[in-house]
Order: sequence, then C-alpha cells, then structure tokens
Amino acid sequence: MSFHPPMEYAPARFHKSARPLPEAGGEFAFTPENQAKFDENVKRYPPDQRKSAILYALYLAQGRQGYLTAAAMRHVAQQIGCTAAEVEDVVSYYTMFFTKPVGKYVINVCRTLSCALRGAERVTEELRAKLGIAPGETDADGMFTLIEVECLGACDCAPVVMVNDDWHEHLTPERVSQFIDDVRARGRAALTGCHLRKEKNGHEQLTVDS
Amino acid sequence: METVTLTIDGRQVTVAKGRTLLQAAIEAGISVPYYCYHPGISIDGSCRVCIVKIEKMPKLQTSCSTVCADGMVVHTRDAEVIAARAGVFEFLLVNHPLDCPVCDKGGECPLQDFSYTFGPAESRMDFPRRVFDGEGVKGDVDFGPTLMLNRQRCILCTRCVRFMKEVEGDAQIGIVDRGYGSEIATFEERGVHSLLSGNLMDICPVGAILTRDYRFKSRPWDNPGVVDTMCTLCSKGCSTSAWLKARPEWAKGTQLIRMTPRFNPEVNNYWMCDIGRFTYHWVEGDTRLRRPMVRRGSALEPAAWHDVEPPLRGRLQEAGSTDPSSVRFLVSAHASTEELFVLKQLVRGLLGSDGLSAVTIAWTRSNKPQSAAAKFKVPATDAPNVNGARDLGYRVGPGTDGLPDLLPLRDAVEAGRVKAVYVLDPGPDGSLGDVSWLGPARRSGALGLLVVQGVVMNELAAAADFVLPGATYVEKDAIYTNDQGRVQAASRAIGLPGEAREDWDILASLARSLGLAMPYESSHDVRRALAASMPGTAYAQADTLVFTRPVPARNWLQASNPSERWKWDFLYQDLPPVKGYSVQTEGMPPEAVFIPLKPVGVRS
Repeated sequence: MSFHPPMEYAPARFHKSARPLPEAGGEFAFTPENQAKFDENVKRYPPDQRKSAILYALYLAQGRQGYLTAAAMRHVAQQIGCTAAEVEDVVSYYTMFFTKPVGKYVINVCRTLSCALRGAERVTEELRAKLGIAPGETDADGMFTLIEVECLGACDCAPVVMVNDDWHEHLTPERVSQFIDDVRARGRAALTGCHLRKEKNGHEQLTVDS
Repeated sequence: METVTLTIDGRQVTVAKGRTLLQAAIEAGISVPYYCYHPGISIDGSCRVCIVKIEKMPKLQTSCSTVCADGMVVHTRDAEVIAARAGVFEFLLVNHPLDCPVCDKGGECPLQDFSYTFGPAESRMDFPRRVFDGEGVKGDVDFGPTLMLNRQRCILCTRCVRFMKEVEGDAQIGIVDRGYGSEIATFEERGVHSLLSGNLMDICPVGAILTRDYRFKSRPWDNPGVVDTMCTLCSKGCSTSAWLKARPEWAKGTQLIRMTPRFNPEVNNYWMCDIGRFTYHWVEGDTRLRRPMVRRGSALEPAAWHDVEPPLRGRLQEAGSTDPSSVRFLVSAHASTEELFVLKQLVRGLLGSDGLSAVTIAWTRSNKPQSAAAKFKVPATDAPNVNGARDLGYRVGPGTDGLPDLLPLRDAVEAGRVKAVYVLDPGPDGSLGDVSWLGPARRSGALGLLVVQGVVMNELAAAADFVLPGATYVEKDAIYTNDQGRVQAASRAIGLPGEAREDWDILASLARSLGLAMPYESSHDVRRALAASMPGTAYAQADTLVFTRPVPARNWLQASNPSERWKWDFLYQDLPPVKGYSVQTEGMPPEAVFIPLKPVGVRS
C-alpha cells in the first residue's frame, strides 16, 4: 500500500500559478552578530509566543541583502520554529518586506485619504515621470524603487513619502523633481521628516541600506 | 456540568458553559449560516456570515466567537441581522464565480445553500470578477499530489490553513498577499504533502479544494446512495461513509466513488487519512477475483463452485489423513471477526482443542510519514482486526505493536513438514506481508496443496491449486476490533463481483463438507453465535451492532459538506433550499422577508 495512490501530477502542463515566487537564493544563515541580536530579542517573548519575533527576524534577514529570498525565509522559519509558509504569509502581508532586489532608496508614496486629497496621485505621477518607472519597479541604475502604500501615519504633513525608514513631508508635486535630485546628492540628509529616526541610547537602527 | 441559560429568537436555550452562541444555536436547531467555523478546528471569525444581534451590545456580533452568557437575548432573524447578513453574502459572491453547474461541489456546497437561504435575491455586481486565469495561467492550480486548488472559488475562510496548523501539525498552507490580493497558497507553490490532505476537500466550504480522485467524476445527484461504514485499512478503524455512484443505465448497480470520514469522537473525530480515502480502487479493479478457479496442469481454470468444492474437500482430507496438523492456515488480519470465529470452529472441529495453533495470523506494518505535532495519527499496523483475532484466542505475538512471526510456518513449509496451506486474505494485495516463499514452495513440491481464499489475483493466487473468490470490506456486513479494542461494524455498500461469496460462507460450507455442523444462514447468525459464546466481553453485544444500508440520495442532497452532516441532520428537515423560500423567514409577512438592495447609482 503506497503512501499516495499513483495519480497524474503534471504541474508544468497547464495547472500553473502565476504567483511571483521569491527567488530561491543561495544558502542563508544569520551572521553570528545577527544571530546574537535575534537570540537576545526572542527572549522578550514568552516561549509559546516565539512567533512574535518573526518581524524582527525578517528585518535582520532583509538587512543583509535588501530583500528576502526563499532560503532566507526558510532560515527564519527554522529560527522561529514555524513553517516557511507561515513566514511567507507575513512577508507577503507587509509592504516593508521585499522578495526581489530593490534600489538603494525605496520611495513609499502614501495614497490614503489625507495625502490623496493633497495630491498624492500627482506626486506618484511626477515620480513616475522623473524616474521613468511605474510603481513596484526599480530604476535602471538601482538607485530608486517606487511603491504606493497605505497610510504612513503622518496625515498632518500630507502628502508624505517614506524613503527607506524615514519620512519626507509636504512633498507637493511641484517639488518632486528637486527632491529626487536632492536625495541623489545628499541621501538621507535630504529628508525633512520630523519622524526621522534618531540613534538613541544604543537602540540599533534597522534600515535596509545600513 | 455548569450551564448557562440564554434566549435565542425568543427560545430559552440552556447550554454548557463556554459554548459559543453559534454552537448553542446549532444545538437548539436554530439555523445560523457559517463558513469559517468548523467544530474540529479553532475559531477564526473571518467569514462574518454568522452575525447575530445581541441585546445591549452596540453592534452585531459574530456568533461563532461570542461566548454564551447567562441572560443574553439573541436575535438571529431580526430585520437588521437579515439585511446585514445579506450584505455579507453579497460581498462573498463579489469574486466567487457562478460556475456551480460545472463545479464539483455544486449540490453539496454550503456557499450555494446558504446563499440561497440567507443571501440577497439578486446581485448588483456589474464589474468583472477577480480571476486568476490568464496567459498560460489557470486559476485552477495543482495543490500537491492529491489535491487541486481553484483560486477563483476560494472565499478565504482559512479553514484549510487552520486545519494544517492544528490537526496536521505542519502549516503548509498560508494566505499570501493582503486584502484584495489575498490568495491561498503554499510555499514556493509546492502544494500540500500530507497524509491528511483529503480532509481539506471536506472542510472546504466551497469548491476551491478538490481531490484529484473525485474531481469531475461524479455529482451529488449521480450518487444514489451513501453507506455509513468503516475503513479497515489500518488498525484505527475510522468511521467512514462510502459514496455510491449509479452505473450507466446499460450496466446495473452502483460503484464506489469516494470515501469520506464520518464524525466519531471516540475514534477519528471528523477526519480520515488519505490511505483510507483513496485506496478503494482495488475493490472494483481489474485484478479482483470473480470466479473460483482450479489448477488443471499448469494453468488455473475458472470453474463453478459445485465443481470446486468436492475436489477441494478431497485434497484437504488427503493432506490431513496422516496427521491433521500438517494442514496449516495462513490468515490475514483483514479477516473479520465472523470469519475468524467460523475458522476457529473449523480448525477446532478438525484438529481438536489445539486447533488454533495451526493458524498463523499475518499482517503488515508501515511507517506513516506524519509530522510530530499531528493530532490525527495513523497507526503503523495495516490491518483492522489483529485485536479481534487475539480476543478469539488466536496467537498474534506482539499484537498491533509489532510484526507477526511467519518464520515457523515458513520453516515448516520449506522443510516439507506441511502438506497443505489454506490462505484466507480478504485484504488488498500485499496485506499478508512477505509470502513470496509460499509460491516457490508449492511449485518445487515441498508443499503439496495451496488453497487461496482471497479477493485479488496476485502472485500467491497464481501459484495456488484452488482459488476461492471472497468479499472485501465494503461487500459484507462484518465486525472488526480496532486498536482501542472497540468492536465496530462495517456495512455492506456494494454487491459481490461475479460469483464471489462472503468469506464466512465459504469457510462454513467447507466445514460442512468436511462433516462439521455449521448452523449459519447469514453473517448475523455467526454474530449471534459469537455473542453467545463470549458473554461478559465486548463481543456479547456483537449481534446488536447496527449495519446500515444505502441512504437515498435525496436525503443526502441536504447534507452539504459530508463532514458536517451532524449539523444538516437537524438544520433542514425537508428539502434543499429553494430560491424565494427561506427557513429563516418562515411565517413572516412578505414585506419583512424582502431584502432591500438599493440599485447602484441611485441615491435614496
């Protein structure tokens, strides 16, 4: 008696899903430094809620290469003690996790109500024109990735964009071109956001480009 | 037991403390629709159709996730609830295709039934549905070796996700993406690889997850009958339902079309494994034995029963004439207790009180790949009745914990000390374990006579002098004792093929021809004698066990998801839901029944 009765199984023929799969990626493991950070962080949660550390583990994994490969997800699953499917569940839910290479600067344009009323759609249009890419794409020299996201929590300063982990506020459509040139020249220093994260009392930064 | 008393739709309902409103309503026979709730897995509250109105609560609540409290006043047929529920149904059908006529779930689909009963009468959706079909892509994708996933039909109730996490213990299914883009998927599209994967078809409330085995093969109205029986492919003995499909008009009778689990909290809960679910094709396969056969020269030739029995008797008497104990029996633990009981009387009659030592009980074991966290474990022993044989006094060695020892028999046969071996094996091919030595022993002449009473043509039967066609587990009323020691009944679902006979009958007429008294007319007579001979044991009630017959299909058209039949048994007592008529609005004035939907684009 076999485990499964013999059945035709030909996925290549026509029953194919077009879902973009994460890159397989090479072998992945946390660096000893990241492993230590993870082990420290996971202690904050009760042992039966170890899964709560999954976001932190994914940030650590993404910090290394800028995006998450299938191998990285499998490593995180192994660290957390869950299955890779559960990790992918989380990765695909959040806009902050990437499954393909992104540019040095990931521009997240808020398109929720306050920003939309203040012209976020036109900001996106200007960015598209300036960078020559559509939302979800990365430009040719790997500098910028453009994404549309939901509320960034800075409605008082609409329209707002998030570049990597920091806000830039009051980005009106007219200022987009100059803003891009500025970021290209000065990097993070070009951002105005009052939420700009500060290095404070040794609490480490988790940025994609750090 | 602590209880709480609450009021649902004006009725006083008393339930055990800790029950949710939905469970209380189901117990009280009040119809509340639901999809994401399943009694066998945890509560999620994601489908929202079970919403009810609770007095003193500001908003409608999902009844599946609200725990009953003393003095609650709940309304399930309030105008507000009806309208809100209809709204939820409208949303569920925004992307659900209306391919019910070609969907395998059609006719037994909770979404179909509940939409008819509780949903709005018409749709306002005039925009295209979300479909996954595209260039070289199908919404209908492979979902592992046993399943297919139709992503269009999925309503994201997450029952499959929770089943894999909680019952299978290996969360292979997840929801990828978010919001409108959400879809059920496995990591790297690898599909579900699990011994319990077939259960996903049962728990899926729509036609999204289907088994390859049943897909496109039959529809509920093609299945004229369903038989409540049990699976005998391992020592667990899960309660199952055998579904029968009508053969075409030119062919009589019915055929097995699928096996589904039947709720049994003591043994299998709501589940069964894929081995039991999909390993039934051999029963009606090409290798089934349909006629008795006798060896003439080098070939086995079909013969009539009355031409087989006299020579068989003669050869057996000849083999046992000098030393009766040189006739040995090799019996598979797939044999039912009735058969073992008749066999016991046969060998006792022929060999005296020591007769049982001439019988070797055989079974196999196989390691079932399951995750360590799995709640539903499939035992290693691949035979249903090792314990039944033990209880009747046969020697079974380690029982269900180990393998039988066939070596003494093999040594005796190969040393030429055995003149005849009588094999009884009503199980699938290979259920005796390694008996490849038996055929060569017969051919070399070390063994003088080999009789095989079995159900499939295999190497062993091909080497036999006499082949007697018996009955498989779905072709006879029989009892088996599972590894917990429960004596369970397996009912006959289909007729015997060709001239095959029930195994107890073959043994009894053999015993009669050898001059023993066998006063049995039916397997029930055997059970009665068995019960009388073992007072004070679980077998004392063997003759009172209930065997069912096929239930007419019209009863089953109401039974939507087979795993939830317990619910349907009292939800709908009359007919399947009919459009324009609704259980929930029975007796209400027509204007209250009308579910108002505003036309799109018109302001009120």
